[in-house]
Amino acid sequence: MAVVCTPDAPSVAELELALMSTSDGVSPVPSLDAVEKPDLRALFEEQALPFMDQLYAAGMRMTRNPADASDLVQETYVKAFAAFSQFTQGTNLKAWLYRILTNTFINTYRKKQRDPYQGTIDELEDWQMGGATSATLSTTSRSAEAEAIDHLPDSAVKDALQKVPEDFRLAVYLADVEGFSYQEIADIMKTPVGTVMSRLHRGRRLLRELLGDYARERGIAVPAPSGAGRTTSKGSKK
Amino acid sequence: MTDCGCDKAKAELEEYLHNELARDDARDIREHMAGCADCSSEFHVNVVMTETVKRACKEAAPEDLRLQVLTKLRDLQSTHESA
Repeated sequence: MAVVCTPDAPSVAELELALMSTSDGVSPVPSLDAVEKPDLRALFEEQALPFMDQLYAAGMRMTRNPADASDLVQETYVKAFAAFSQFTQGTNLKAWLYRILTNTFINTYRKKQRDPYQGTIDELEDWQMGGATSATLSTTSRSAEAEAIDHLPDSAVKDALQKVPEDFRLAVYLADVEGFSYQEIADIMKTPVGTVMSRLHRGRRLLRELLGDYARERGIAVPAPSGAGRTTSKGSKK
Repeated sequence: MTDCGCDKAKAELEEYLHNELARDDARDIREHMAGCADCSSEFHVNVVMTETVKRACKEAAPEDLRLQVLTKLRDLQSTHESA
């Protein structure tokens, strides 16, 4: 489902060929050192820069504004380049870049934002969280719900996403937008896979409720899921 | 309309959606949904939500940023080399 364009990592042989072909054909077998120094940047640019749009999009969802997202992405590239000689070719460069991005965000930007949920959100019980419990919805009301969600403007979807507590939002973003596996998300967020699953589940549930709210505000008939829990979704209603 | 596969299907729907289930489990869910309108409509909402979020989150990095990063990398390399 979540197909993302991960450029196939070129094999070592291909890389060496590419590197050699740029050296004017004079020295067919340059020493490893001679190759590495000048061309590490070229290699980095070739492999890492294609992820810039994706990293920027993730940065936008993290920092919520273009200036901070740009700073975050730039910082990520600087750190990644500094560490690039330790990156193992053939392993997942995209996940590696996301780990640096997420780390940088948590260490610098998150401190500024002081999310009041931080540190406690994982401990909340489901009933404290609110969110849609769709067990009682009928098949027809679900198709109305799907239809309504499908037609929401991007801005409404982004707004709703911003209202989901940060750790949950990040898990949802990494899984649903980027298509990372649960294990990759666990590595990126430095949490156990079980925590990733619970954050994802709760994040998606909240998001679904928020998207339903938006649709209803716009006069689209989406049946509100019945059942307990909706009263406690603080901050989700205007 | 609902049979005893619903509990399993509902519990594992999200993992199924994210391609996290082992092949046999995924097949069970798929087979169950083929005959269960309730579970398949629930799955459909989930798929639509994922697609909607994916679509809404598309961004293009500003051209300035690309240039800034390229300049920064070149600067870094030249300071490394002169060091």
